[in-house]
Amino acid sequence: MNVLQQVPRNALMWIIISLFALVAPHIGRLPIWVLAVYVIAVVWRLQVHRGRWSFPGRWVKVAMTTSGFVGIYASYGTLVGLEPTVALLLTAFALKFIELSQRKDAYVLLFLGYFICITEFLFSQDLLITLYSVINVLLVTTALVALHQPGLDQFNRGTMRLAGVMLLQAVPLMVVLFFVFPRFGPLWTVPIKSHAAKTGMSDFMKPGDVASLSQSDEVAFRVKFDGEIPEKSALYWRGLVFSRLEQDVWSGLGYYDVPLEEQRPDEVAISGQPLRYSVIMESTQQNWLYGLRYARARSPGVMHSSDFRMMSPAPLESEYLYRVESWTDVPVDLDLSDWRRKTETKLPPQGNNRTRELALELRESAGSDEAFVEQVLEKFNSEDYVYTLQPGRLTGSNPIDDFLFQARRGFCEHYASAFVFMMRAADVPARVVAGYQGGEINPLNKTVIVHQFDAHAWAEVWLENRGWVRVDPTSAVSPLRIEMGLEEAMASEGSFLAAAPLSPLRYRSIPLLNQLRLRYDALTYRWQSWVVGFDSEQQFDLLHTLFGEISTRVFATLLLGSWALVLVPVAISLFFKRDTYPVSPLDKYYRLFCDRMAELGLIRGPGETPGHFAQRAVEALPGFADELRRITGLYNDLAYAGVKDKDELAQFTRAVSRFRPDRRRGLLEEDTTL
Amino acid sequence: MQVRGLVDSAVNEVGNILLGKEPQIRLALCCLFARGHLLLEDLPGMGKTTLSHALAAVLGLSWKRVQFTSDLLPADILGVSVFDASDASFTFHPGPIFTQLLLADEINRTTPRTQSALLEAMAEGQVTVEGETRQLPQPFFVIATQNPVHQSGTYPLPESQLDRFLMRLELGYPHPQAERQMFERRHSGAMEIQNPRQCIDMGQLEMIRVAVSKVHASENLIDYLQRLVAYTRQSPEFEVGLSPRGALALLDCAKTWAAMNNRGHVVPEDIQAVLPAVAAHRLVPSGDYAGDGDALVDLLRRDVDVVGR
Repeated sequence: MNVLQQVPRNALMWIIISLFALVAPHIGRLPIWVLAVYVIAVVWRLQVHRGRWSFPGRWVKVAMTTSGFVGIYASYGTLVGLEPTVALLLTAFALKFIELSQRKDAYVLLFLGYFICITEFLFSQDLLITLYSVINVLLVTTALVALHQPGLDQFNRGTMRLAGVMLLQAVPLMVVLFFVFPRFGPLWTVPIKSHAAKTGMSDFMKPGDVASLSQSDEVAFRVKFDGEIPEKSALYWRGLVFSRLEQDVWSGLGYYDVPLEEQRPDEVAISGQPLRYSVIMESTQQNWLYGLRYARARSPGVMHSSDFRMMSPAPLESEYLYRVESWTDVPVDLDLSDWRRKTETKLPPQGNNRTRELALELRESAGSDEAFVEQVLEKFNSEDYVYTLQPGRLTGSNPIDDFLFQARRGFCEHYASAFVFMMRAADVPARVVAGYQGGEINPLNKTVIVHQFDAHAWAEVWLENRGWVRVDPTSAVSPLRIEMGLEEAMASEGSFLAAAPLSPLRYRSIPLLNQLRLRYDALTYRWQSWVVGFDSEQQFDLLHTLFGEISTRVFATLLLGSWALVLVPVAISLFFKRDTYPVSPLDKYYRLFCDRMAELGLIRGPGETPGHFAQRAVEALPGFADELRRITGLYNDLAYAGVKDKDELAQFTRAVSRFRPDRRRGLLEEDTTL
Repeated sequence: MQVRGLVDSAVNEVGNILLGKEPQIRLALCCLFARGHLLLEDLPGMGKTTLSHALAAVLGLSWKRVQFTSDLLPADILGVSVFDASDASFTFHPGPIFTQLLLADEINRTTPRTQSALLEAMAEGQVTVEGETRQLPQPFFVIATQNPVHQSGTYPLPESQLDRFLMRLELGYPHPQAERQMFERRHSGAMEIQNPRQCIDMGQLEMIRVAVSKVHASENLIDYLQRLVAYTRQSPEFEVGLSPRGALALLDCAKTWAAMNNRGHVVPEDIQAVLPAVAAHRLVPSGDYAGDGDALVDLLRRDVDVVGR
C-alpha cells in the first residue's frame, strides 16, 4: 500500500484514545456487550497493526454488522428511538474502526467521532458533560492532526498541543457563532428517549410515592427570584392537582375528563405586586411545570389548565427555563361551577366507612366549613400522629381508616390524602396538590435549589368567598417540616437520605464540602441560564440590543470579523516569522542575481549548480560573460572555498547590485540577434 | 606532482584498454582513492573484468580473481588450515582474499552465505578463520561484478550489503566510435589486453589520500548535502532514503572528486558528479513511483536546490 495512505501509529493511538473517550459517557445507557465490541475492535485492529491478524473479510463484516443490528434490537426491543439509535451508531463506530486501513477510513471515523460527541448532548447538557465533550473534541482533533504527521511512528503527546492550539484559535469563531448562528426549531422529531426513566412527580399518587421520592438528592429545579426570596414556609411549588380518587390512588384529571367549557382557567382578578422569578427545570420526561400559586407564565409556550397548573406542551427532555409571575394572595375560583363542585367532592362509593362517619360528625359539630378544617387539623395536631419517612405499609381494603385510627404514622401524602377524604366525605370541595415545598437557598447566587427530597403533597379546600385555600395537614403534624425542611424534621429518625450515604447533601456540616457543593451548583445555574437557556428569543433580544436591526450585513460582518480576529494575528505572525529563518546575505544576493537572469528568460533550475548555470548563461548571453563569470566565481569562492573575507562579500553584493542587464536592452538585443 | 596529473595519466592508461569509458574509469579511481569497494553491474562481456584488471595494474596492486559460482564456499575465499604431515601441525593456506585488489566476479551467482563471508571481510579489513583473526593486506579493495539481478540463477544482494559498496557503476555499451576502434584493433591483430603500466605507486596513493583529507567542505555545501539527504527521506517517491552511512559516503566521494580535480574545496558539481554512482544503489523507489534508483538520482539532481534560502 502507498505509504502516504497509511494511518501512522501515532494517529492510530490517538484514534483509540478518542474511541474510548467518546463511548465513556454513554456507558451507563449501553448494553454491556457494546463495550465488549469496543474492546474486541481495538484488540483486533492492534493485532492487524502488529501484523498478527488480518482485516476482517467481507462475510465477517456482514456478519458483524448484522449481529450489531440484532443485538441492539434484542437489547432495546426496538431500533427506533434515541437510545437504540445512539447505541447502534456507537456499535457501528467500533466496527468501522476494525476495518480502518487507509487515511480516508480514518477521516470517516473521526468526522463520525465529532458527531458522536454531539449525541451526548441529547441526554444531558450538564456543565461537566460539556467540559468532557470539549476534551473529546480535543482528542478527535488530535487524532486528525496526527493523521497528517506521517513521520511520527511513536506515540506523541506534542500532537495534542498542536491540536489544542488549533482549537484555541477557533474559540472566537465558536463564541460568535454561539451568539449569532440562527437557532432553528427542530426540523424533525424523534420518539426520543423511550427508555429514559421519568423523574420527579408522576401523574398519580398512591401512599408511599412521595416518601420514596424523598430518598433522592437530585435537583428538581432551581429558582431565581427577581427580588427578595420569600419565607421558606411560603414556598409551595405547585405542580400537580389530584382531583380523583379511585382504588386508593389519587390521579389528576386528563384532558378529556374536563368538559369543553371548563378547560380554560377562569380569569383571576389580580392585584398587587407579583413575585417574579425564573425557573430552570431539570429534564423530567414529563409535562408539568412548577410555580407558586397563583402563577402565570411569562414565557411563551407554557399552557395553563383550569386547576391553575402550568404545563409544557412537550415532555421536558432537557433543562427548561421559564419565567413566572405569581400573585400569592389573590383568591382563585371564587365561583365554583356545578361540574367542578361535583368532581371535587366525589369519593368512591364505599370503603373507609369509619372515616366518613368521623368526618360527618366533625362537620356537624363545627358548624362551618372553616371550623371543620380547623377541627381536622386540630385532630392531627393534638392526637399522637407521627410524621415519618417509614410509615409502614397499609395493605387493608380501608387504608385511610387504618391510617387514621390504627397506624397513625404517615408521610405527607397520607395526611393530605386522609384530609381531603374527610373534606369530601363532608361534602366540602377539596383536592390533593403535589409538588415541592421549600428548597435550599444558595447564598452564593441567591437561587433556591429544590431537590427531589423536597417533594411534598398538601391539600386545597374550596371555601365560600375565599375560593381555593391551601391547607397543609403535614404542618399540623410536623411544623418543623415546613419551617426547616425535611432534614430537620427527620433528624431524630435519622432517615434523611438514608439510601444515599455518599450524597454530598449529607455532609453539609463540613463547611468546605458544603461550600464546594454550593459553588458548583451556582456554576451550574449560571451555565443553565446563560448557555442552555439561550434560545432564539434571547438571541434576538441580545443581538437587537447590541446591533439594532439584525440584517444579513450585520450577520456577515460578525462572522467575518470573528475570523479576522484570529486570522489577522496569525497572518501577521507568519509575515514576521519569515525572517526567523535568516537567509545568508550570500544566498540572498545570489537569488537576486538569479531573479535578474530570470527576467531575461534564463531560469536556473533548483538543481542547477551556479557553475553550470553560469556556463549556460554565458552561452546564451556572451555579452555578459565577464560579469557572469565574475559573479559566479565570487559566489563559489564565498560559498564553497571557505573564503570568509568581508571585502569579497562586499564585492559580490556590489557586483550583483550593479548587475542590471535589463537596463542594457541594446546590448541584450544585440546578443539575441547574434 | 599534482593529483590531477597522476589521475589523468592513470585514466589514460586504463582508457587505452577500455575504450570510451573515461567517466567510469574516473569514478572507479575515485572510489578506490576514497578507500571504498566498487560494485560493477552489467551484462556479461561489457568489460568489467578488464576494468578491474587494468585498475590493479595502474595502481600496482597485487590482484586476484575469484569466479563466484553457486557451489563456492566461504573457505574457498578465505583460506583453510591443512594438516601438514611433515611437521605434524596445521598450516594455514590463505585463500584468494589475501590480496590487495580482489575481483569478485559475478558475486550474485553465489549463495548468500559466501557473499556475506566476503562482505564481512570488506567491512572489517580482516578475516577470522578457525578462531584466528588475520589482517588483510593494505590497501584492500574489492571490485565485485554482478549481472543484472533479473537474470536467472542469481542471488540478489540485499540492500544492507549493497550499502557496503561505496559505488556502483554500470559500464554500458561502448560508444559506436569506440566500438569501431575496438573492432579495428582486433582486426589489425594488435595486442588485446596488454598489461598497463603502473602510474601510481604506494607513496603517491598515500599522497592522494592526504590531499583528500585536506579538502574543505563549506557550510553551504553541507547544507546542500543535507537538503539532498532530507529530500530522499521526505519525498513520497522514495521508499528508503539515504542512510547516514550513505550520506557520509557521498561526502567522502565528493571530497575525493574535488581532490582529483586539484581543488581544495568541494563544490556542488562534485556532489552531483558522484551522486549517481554513490546513491543510486542505496535508494529504493516507493511502490507508486515508476522509475528506478537512477531516475531517483535524476530527481535529486534536478529538484533539490543547490542554493539555500
